[in-house]
Amino acid sequence: MTINTRRKILAAGGLIAFSAGFSATAERMLKPLLGRDKSKSQYHGASLEPEFNIDPATGTLKVNPAQQVSYTMCLGCTTLCGVRVRIDRASGKVLRVAGNPYSPLSTEPHLPMKASIRDSFVAISGFQDKGLAGRSTACGRGNAVLEQMDSPFRVLRPMKRVGPRNSGRWEPIPFEQLIRELTEGGDLFGEGPVEGLKALRDLATPIDPQRPELGPKVNQVALITSVNDGRLAFGKRFMQQAYGTLNFVGHGSYCGGAYRSGSGALFGDMKKMPHGKPDFANTEFALFIGTAPANAGNPFKRQGALLAQGRTEGKLNYVVVDPVLTNADNMAVGERGRWIPIKPGTDGALVMGMMRWLFANQRYDANYLAHPNMTVAKAAGEPSWSNATHLVVVEPGHPRQGRFLRGSDLGLVLAEEERYKENDPFVVLNAEDKTVFHDKATMSAQLFVGGVVEAGGQPLQVKSSLQLLREQAFLHSPDEYAAACGIPAQTIAALAKEFSSHGKRAAAVAHGGMMAGNGFYNAYGVVTLNALIGNLNWKGGLSMNGGGFKDAGAGPRYNLESFPGMIEKPAGMPLGRNAPYEKTAEFAAKKAAGKAYPAQAPWFPNAPGLATEWLTGAANGYPYGIKALFLWSANPVYGIPGVRAQVEKDLMDPKKIPLIVSIDPLINESNAFADYIVPDSLLYESWGWASAWGAVPTKASTARWPVVEPKAEKLADGQAIGMETFFIALARAMALPGFGPGAIADMEGNTYPLERPEDWYLRGGANIAWLGKEPVADASDEDILLSGVERLRPLLERTLKPEEVRKVAFILARGGRYQPAKETYSEDNPEWMTHRYDNGLQIYNENLGAAKNSITGKRFTGCATWTEPVFADGTPMRTLYPEADWPLQLVSFKSALQNSYSIAASRLRGIHPENPVLMHPADAARFGLESGDAAVIRTPGGSVRSRVIVHAGVMPGVLAVEHGFGHKELGARAHRIGEARQPEVPAIGAGVNLNDLGLADPTRQGKSVWVDAVSGTSVRNGLPATVARA
Amino acid sequence: MSDDTLFQSRRAFLQALPAITAGVALPMNTASAAEGKHHWAMLVDVRKCIGCQACTVSCIMENAVPENSFRTIVSTYTVTQEVDGKTVAGTYVLPRLCNHCDNPPCVPVCPVNATFKRDDGIVVVDGYRCVGCAYCVQACPYDARFINHDTGKADKCTFCAHRVDAGLLPACVETCVGGARIFGDLNDPKGELRRRLDAAKEADAIKVLKPESGARPNVFYIGLDPRFQGRVEGQGALWRPSEHGA
Repeated sequence: MTINTRRKILAAGGLIAFSAGFSATAERMLKPLLGRDKSKSQYHGASLEPEFNIDPATGTLKVNPAQQVSYTMCLGCTTLCGVRVRIDRASGKVLRVAGNPYSPLSTEPHLPMKASIRDSFVAISGFQDKGLAGRSTACGRGNAVLEQMDSPFRVLRPMKRVGPRNSGRWEPIPFEQLIRELTEGGDLFGEGPVEGLKALRDLATPIDPQRPELGPKVNQVALITSVNDGRLAFGKRFMQQAYGTLNFVGHGSYCGGAYRSGSGALFGDMKKMPHGKPDFANTEFALFIGTAPANAGNPFKRQGALLAQGRTEGKLNYVVVDPVLTNADNMAVGERGRWIPIKPGTDGALVMGMMRWLFANQRYDANYLAHPNMTVAKAAGEPSWSNATHLVVVEPGHPRQGRFLRGSDLGLVLAEEERYKENDPFVVLNAEDKTVFHDKATMSAQLFVGGVVEAGGQPLQVKSSLQLLREQAFLHSPDEYAAACGIPAQTIAALAKEFSSHGKRAAAVAHGGMMAGNGFYNAYGVVTLNALIGNLNWKGGLSMNGGGFKDAGAGPRYNLESFPGMIEKPAGMPLGRNAPYEKTAEFAAKKAAGKAYPAQAPWFPNAPGLATEWLTGAANGYPYGIKALFLWSANPVYGIPGVRAQVEKDLMDPKKIPLIVSIDPLINESNAFADYIVPDSLLYESWGWASAWGAVPTKASTARWPVVEPKAEKLADGQAIGMETFFIALARAMALPGFGPGAIADMEGNTYPLERPEDWYLRGGANIAWLGKEPVADASDEDILLSGVERLRPLLERTLKPEEVRKVAFILARGGRYQPAKETYSEDNPEWMTHRYDNGLQIYNENLGAAKNSITGKRFTGCATWTEPVFADGTPMRTLYPEADWPLQLVSFKSALQNSYSIAASRLRGIHPENPVLMHPADAARFGLESGDAAVIRTPGGSVRSRVIVHAGVMPGVLAVEHGFGHKELGARAHRIGEARQPEVPAIGAGVNLNDLGLADPTRQGKSVWVDAVSGTSVRNGLPATVARA
Repeated sequence: MSDDTLFQSRRAFLQALPAITAGVALPMNTASAAEGKHHWAMLVDVRKCIGCQACTVSCIMENAVPENSFRTIVSTYTVTQEVDGKTVAGTYVLPRLCNHCDNPPCVPVCPVNATFKRDDGIVVVDGYRCVGCAYCVQACPYDARFINHDTGKADKCTFCAHRVDAGLLPACVETCVGGARIFGDLNDPKGELRRRLDAAKEADAIKVLKPESGARPNVFYIGLDPRFQGRVEGQGALWRPSEHGA
């Protein structure tokens, strides 16, 4: 090999020579003479005045009184980092955003809480290089999104549509009219009567008397939101606990939900879906599949910083397996980091191939896996355990087929209602071939069992979990796995060898890249690798998130969890059909008629709430229709692959969904269809308490508080309109419990009002202050002054008890409450994490293995397996859309800069203005395309026109589309609000949105989108496609 | 890493890199062009850069850099090599900014003496004097200067002199997510910058961009691939800054 010419190097942007002409020079030279020179400063142009001045000799801090520096939370993506916001006091304008040194999401290691605010300011300065050692950062997007504060596209007043839905015309209306029309209903648009929220809150009448399992009519009021931005508990309090609907869902099913579901299967909780991350600081080998730390992901900065540190100064080696090359790769670190391209949606073949090698070469941790319970594991020095030895009933046709053998099956006497529940132990086989209850076992059990036990006097075929997994791994040969995923068999073996060569100090994780038509099993396979080396809870292994201090709990200061009159548990079947089909009247009727399967549409008993299925479900009226839809900071029309083409007409039709209400500071592709838009707070105006999503091993609760005055219209009492004021007013108008005077109780039973946002968030702060080993300290006067919390002092004093004021101020001043970094590893054993997951890992998951596909009636495989992407009835995608017709596959990827709602930040577009689709040189040659060519990309779900870029950093056969572009709203279309017309900024609409190319499921009836059969999550990786020159 | 075939391509590629010649000047060993107490400089550890552009955006926000201009940016390259008939691709990132040279080619060409080197080593433009003729823009070997559309003046990185003078760090350094950018005083042997430079120098790991230009830059790199030391010609790909800049 030679490195000959520069032509070998594709310069991806980067050095752009100064190229503007010189024609303007003469005018520039005249400017000073003409008095048009507005240079603020002789040497620093329009640079900002510094916020502090720090004496280089003494470190003495002097603040700039013209600026306020406050620690709060970024909402620029779902990582929700702690940031420091610099504000011009005179104008209230946010000037710049950087990191909060107390926050582990922005700083490694983070500053202890005991440091004063003054010390924290010195800690980020040049004094004694402190700001290098304790560098606290904001990412590119976090730096840029402050522009949204002053966006001309902000919704600042309640608006009601003018004309048909999605016509881009709105009329501002008074808040009182908004509340009245929404609660009372009426002929709101001259299109006929619309039921109001009062009438829709029917907690008694079933939606369908023939199908009582669906629950009461109130369930036809539904809310889609995005993530817990720190306000979710407030939203749930209104929609679920007070109003009473079951249907409240986030965006996970069209984000990275397949990974979460696969992880949930291993962790044994498919509703909360726990997940881990490598303990980057001590991991020696990390395998990232369908995720790229340092390129995107959550937490973006923390993972990026730890990766950079680990590969440069630590022991970290890593491999990123993905169809697209990313910034997780860095050639300057040589072999420390590598990229292995893979075919879309074939990660399961790779990891099952790795498992096959691990089994064949005895490179799994047999000692670890043989522990049947936590006690035996701990006695052997292991901080976690698995169900590898637990026996599964495999007797064909047996009523317990697919379920674990339990103590009661072997004669253990239990009350009938306790059978097959928590107290009914699992069964293992000991070294003497005797069955032992897993909780009574005192030593290791047999790993590979396949045979017959006697149960109730009858022989019963059983197998151990690990046996079942091994059988799945051996279903295909190494060459078959290699052919499926496009990675050579020797590479798969090398990866397996490497992964099993570091003891506990290796980890395998995935994320958004799992969103394929087999995403659940691919993800379950990736995370199962960890169980095979027994790395969970180990330093350097797979580590759990530390969680947070709960604001909206039952105490210790205020009960924010429940209230008199609360709807304890909304009843019914969820709109997303994430429930067992076998519990429906439809199933009973079909079974009685002799053919229980297929259901009308798939059910997902092992999934969490599924926004993916809501809009098509509402359009089909199955399981039931939606009467009123709330969209709160949610954009499913942009985000769910294929949904726009399927339901656009339905969303236009008020007869399908009679009322659509959005709470959002901006108009996006979804709430453009709304009847009403209610303004919401934005970024640094907003309240919230949020913990980290992952990868922070210590407890972290980040505070978001209004460090600047909210811009939305104010009510008569001075409160700005936002989600909280809106829900409080709706609750008042409908006399709902849980809001208003006396709605919040303290521990002594005294009651306090919930009439303003601070009534909730400050009391949540008091709860956080008193949690942990001991309450936090009191804020000093200087803390309160320097941090800008001074502006909240009247609210604090009015709302809280005297002894709470300074403690809550202490947390707000520091932008949150954070467990010290030195508590990352356990006091008991420095090789163990402090925050550990104690439940056994599910090599075999019986909830999965005992469930049946509601279309085919076939059982799901209960452990990781390789299965190609399929549609709902099990038909492989390639059977219906063969490679001959659809020679390429689309995948989605993210950059570090854009997400689904950041495109209006002009400074991000200045760096990266559009998202030309990437294609491999071999494909470019095949289709006669060159970089910069306009092309039409077509899938069975739609077509878009895009520029293409020929790029060696993609897998052959793949078209890679960066997420975050192709907007129709957020400023891409100028709406008319009253008489005012928004500005035209066509650049906001640049590029293409892969989700506009998503597929319907051709094997389903009615409207549908293609989702994974287990997790119900969107399919955006591995969409069959063609490309042609435009 | 094990010696399986998996990673041979990358290794082969690295082994084939030309040996780094010892001819690269290390300006910190030469007489300092800065005569003051401090001599500010930057070290960029490319191995730690994650190409996230946090530096780029923070610089824009801090310094009101006009749209589509850049005082600093991270050039991002996809490098392809033919190895055993297969194309191997990797990412290479390179943060760029004004190099605050000890022998700055931008200074002598200025017809009105608006651009000069402060006694702490920072090269600045006197906005009151600058007439926007852009001679300096042309003279800069690093393409680090541009004419600011808003002011009509020559503009470029100042190491955030307004912050440095206040005891703070440059915006890009403060917010460098990967921890790649180290800022400090070449005259402070105990400071982090010098400690890292001295340690890396031992390993012959310090390089600068365009050493042959004679500009004697004060932005040093660890992990600088020699193929990127000079000007890189190529077609725009993933990142496409819409106009011009650093």
